[in-house]
Amino acid sequence: MIDLLGYGAFFLSTALILGIITLGLNLQWGLTGLFNVGIAGFVAIGAYTSAILTTPETADRIGGFGWPMLAGWAAAMAVTGLAAALTGFATLRLKADYLAITTFGVAVVMQLVALNAQSLTGGPFGVAFIPRPMAGLADTPVAFNFANLAVVIAVTLAVYLALEHLSRSPWGRVLRALREDERAAISLGKSARSYRIQAFAVGGAVMGLGGAVQAHFIGFIAPNNYLPTLTFQIWAMLMVGGSGSNRGALLGTVVVWAIWVGAGAFSSAMVPTDWQARTASLQIVAIGVMLCLILLLRPAGFFGGRRKR
Amino acid sequence: MNLQFLADGLITGSLIGLGAIGVTLTYSILRFSNFAHGDLMAWGAYAALTLLGLISALVGSVAPIGVLSFGWPLILAAGLSMALVGGMALVLDWLLFARLRAKGQAIIVVMASFGASMALRSLLEFIFTSKPAYFSRAIQMAMPVGLGIRVTPDQIVLLLVTLALVVAMHLFMERSQTGREMRAYSQNPALARVVGIDVARIVRATWMIGGGLACAAGVMVGILVQIRPLMGLDMLLPMFAAAILGGIGSIPGAVLAGLIIGLSESAAVQLVGAEWRAGVAFAILMGVLLIRPTGLFGVAER
Amino acid sequence: MTAILQVRDLVAGYEPGLDIVRGCSIRADTQEIVVILGPNGAGKSSLIKAIAGLVPVTGGQVLLDGQDITATPAHLMVRRGLAFVPQTDNIFPLLTVEENLRVAGGLPPRPESAPRIDPMFALFPDLARQRRLPAGSLSGGQRQMLAVARALIVHPRVLMLDEPSAGLSPKFVEMVFARLAEIRRSGLTIVLVEQNAKAALSIGDRAYVLVEGRAAHEGPARSLWDDPVIAELYLGQRRAS
Repeated sequence: MIDLLGYGAFFLSTALILGIITLGLNLQWGLTGLFNVGIAGFVAIGAYTSAILTTPETADRIGGFGWPMLAGWAAAMAVTGLAAALTGFATLRLKADYLAITTFGVAVVMQLVALNAQSLTGGPFGVAFIPRPMAGLADTPVAFNFANLAVVIAVTLAVYLALEHLSRSPWGRVLRALREDERAAISLGKSARSYRIQAFAVGGAVMGLGGAVQAHFIGFIAPNNYLPTLTFQIWAMLMVGGSGSNRGALLGTVVVWAIWVGAGAFSSAMVPTDWQARTASLQIVAIGVMLCLILLLRPAGFFGGRRKR
Repeated sequence: MNLQFLADGLITGSLIGLGAIGVTLTYSILRFSNFAHGDLMAWGAYAALTLLGLISALVGSVAPIGVLSFGWPLILAAGLSMALVGGMALVLDWLLFARLRAKGQAIIVVMASFGASMALRSLLEFIFTSKPAYFSRAIQMAMPVGLGIRVTPDQIVLLLVTLALVVAMHLFMERSQTGREMRAYSQNPALARVVGIDVARIVRATWMIGGGLACAAGVMVGILVQIRPLMGLDMLLPMFAAAILGGIGSIPGAVLAGLIIGLSESAAVQLVGAEWRAGVAFAILMGVLLIRPTGLFGVAER
Repeated sequence: MTAILQVRDLVAGYEPGLDIVRGCSIRADTQEIVVILGPNGAGKSSLIKAIAGLVPVTGGQVLLDGQDITATPAHLMVRRGLAFVPQTDNIFPLLTVEENLRVAGGLPPRPESAPRIDPMFALFPDLARQRRLPAGSLSGGQRQMLAVARALIVHPRVLMLDEPSAGLSPKFVEMVFARLAEIRRSGLTIVLVEQNAKAALSIGDRAYVLVEGRAAHEGPARSLWDDPVIAELYLGQRRAS
């Protein structure tokens, strides 16, 4: 029973961390209509930034500055936000597809950096010994899980409230107008681009924060955490939840993550070991088909509701 | 500096260019960047591999042609696969893209292509696992051709095949009625309908050509390197970069840009190290977007 | 006279519930030039676009030579004998002048198409000189000529033009209209939407004045021009008397 509760706390923590990333995407796509196919790249930037800054000094790589965790998270947001702003600056005066292609490129390059810049990122081995919140409780797993969950809930709630506030503010209204009314965008001219860059940067910063929190929650990061599958999962989560709604984004994340974890557990229990890699592929196929079906049949998602288009 | 990079870059570049033709056509005619294009390549390679297996099962082993690593069964399999992948692209369009295009939001189509790409790639992993496969286990000797450059017979022949495909494609677009109609449609879809161009036919032609050429490129990568479910994903960024550097809609531009990217990649391999190869396309892409977003031969969008 | 084009109570609009054409009826007889006039926003442009299959039709009928063509997709209209020249963006700028003619739907493949193309160059000698140049390099008047030539090359029975004089200098307007009058003699029916009432009525046989999506007045071109009330109310022009 206690184990189950502990697992529940663990599951919810992982889900909510992904939820933070989905909230970032919701600001970019749901509110502003900016298409990001490089989510994994931005999450990786946040994760590595915080990891490099907060880990204790290590001999074989740069970094390990031993910063406090919160400072690492703030830096993760700043660096990821900056990367997103640069991406937006280069592409947001062009057609939407160019942003998509460029973000895809960002993810490819981040993967390369993570793998090859060994002296910074630890290469394929990644970065270990990332300080974990509430590390003092590590001896009692249940308490540790719940304490971690509390931290994650606090962060998620803070991000959620901040984004709700932003989307209701005049700034958020401009973004929505830009998305829904091309004439408004044209009449704003140059400043329309600047608004979009801001939205993309803030969304990126939120993704970076998600990446950082995830890194500290697991305590260890490696390039494999940031493959295109992650980007894809986050998209599925947002689309299931209904883009445009922050609550929908969080609900969608929990639902899709539950399906994902459930399917994984099912396959490791029922499928012979040598077939498990294959069923994992099938899992992705299913999510891909689901994403396409949602786009075709239910573009508003399942929990969004309020938005018309 | 070792000049070998010229030969390597030319070969990779021509394959990137061949794939980029499909990207640039889809973009200029169907108005979206197709993230599933790389996966059409991979599906093409696996389709050819499967057909090759079937043919070998039927007729027994066939000696390769001359000094090449492959014989007529692979050529036949590749031709059939091109048609198959073209047909597969049509089915994908009918099931997914056409329906979303009708709703009129271009970026939703891009997203769908991203979802489809994930599904297609993982389906390959499911069927064939992620272990690399090969058309032939034969190892070819590279021959010196002067200036310290060595190439294999396969590389020479496939370079010529690519050249022939590109020239044929160019003539098709410039001289045939369908090609003219495709160019007209890409410039002004509304006017195309007014003057009596059958849009459905143009869309079909675009997918058949894009899918067919992607398949051809996939098979050639399979012959020269190896076949993996991720082979298309790895080619996607260079192909996008080539389509944009060449100028959206321009076939000669896409091919030339493919060569530029291929050569830059192999130069980077020599100068910086092979592990950074994939970053070259991104650097070029950023450069084009910042300096000249219309590319080499592109026209500013209205 | 038999009506080659007959439009009955046509209702059409871009979005459901927002009809721009509201029960409009017009007809055009063989070899006639029919001019459609009206104030801005009267639905002139939408009317001929609806006839051409470019604006969704929600009610009424379009008959071409007695045949119902109401639901025909735009790209098949050309093959039915109805050609349309839009007001703007009516050429493919990156195609050569000759290619612009060749993409016209329903044209037979190359060897047989030459006898169709050469007469067009005879009709518009300006275009013949530039046949290998991209159409984007043509002047405004030449572009209009090219668009008309492309419409004519498929031998339509009815040619519809949306403000062919828009953006042209008076000299070119005169030229375009003179050409249209000439073309009509070959047996073609022309339906012309125009802001430039004076030029249009000077070559027109009959005219309609559209108001709020309906044909409010109809009459011989000459008499409409002479009617001071209509001229001031709807044609947006004070007559220089």
